[in-house]
Amino acid sequence: MTVRRIEVRERVMERNDVLARDVRRRLDDAGIIAYNLVSSPGSGKTLLLERTLAGVGEELRIGVVTGDVQTQNDADRLAHHTDRLVQAVVTGGACHLDALQMQDALDALDLTALRILFIENVGNLVCPASWDLGERAKIVVLSVTEGEDKPLKYPKMFQQARHVIINKMDLLPYVPFDIERCVAYAREVNPSLEFFRVSALTGQGMEDWFRFLKESAWAGSPV
Amino acid sequence: MHELSIALEVCRLVETRTGPGAANVTQVGIEVGDASGFEAANLEFCLDALFSRPPFGRAKAVILRTPGDDLRLTYLEIDE
Repeated sequence: MTVRRIEVRERVMERNDVLARDVRRRLDDAGIIAYNLVSSPGSGKTLLLERTLAGVGEELRIGVVTGDVQTQNDADRLAHHTDRLVQAVVTGGACHLDALQMQDALDALDLTALRILFIENVGNLVCPASWDLGERAKIVVLSVTEGEDKPLKYPKMFQQARHVIINKMDLLPYVPFDIERCVAYAREVNPSLEFFRVSALTGQGMEDWFRFLKESAWAGSPV
Repeated sequence: MHELSIALEVCRLVETRTGPGAANVTQVGIEVGDASGFEAANLEFCLDALFSRPPFGRAKAVILRTPGDDLRLTYLEIDE
């Protein structure tokens, strides 16, 4: 018996990254801008998307892929606000979406009907940071009822994101959230982050968010 | 949190190289970057569980922590 050693040096994420490149190419070919929304559970991603669909969903031809560990509740909520395409992915326990699930979701969508595609990832600031889904950019949703040090606790997610939406601004007077410190922490881990301050519930700040989406859609490139 | 899915992918990568010879694999070298988003001890726990079952049986994960964000299958040792 002899021991044979095989050198490999293969990236374990390579398979996902190959699939993600295919998703990105398909989206580019169809002229679709995809944003991957990531956050802790309960940050308000679904309400933000509901209000976004209600506000500019038709104008910007917005579709959504939702990922949930269990249930299609988010997809059902979103489907009330649009005739556009909402595709649910139930991960069955997995803590993130992966590029293979995105490929399947794209197969189920009419890509010719879309200009912007939101991916509502599983609520989790850890795992979704490691899986490229073929998106144009990751957007972190962070609510003021959370700790302002989230950017320091979950640096990989904030390093990978291009934008941060600080949500539930209507609750700011009632919670000990130091928003300027939060922004400073986030810029500490990623100086190029851009911020929106919104309350999806009251509509506060949503016009800035809509303006960004319109500029993205019209320019065909990230702002 | 997601180390089991990564461990399953490691098993798939190993099997693509060994085919039915997976039972003869004795060592699987893996580099886990400190900023990879994957926890080395958790990954090792998952791999130990998977490597104890067919088509494996004798394999042991040898994890080397590295700087950076890479996660790589680096080598296999096969007892022939």
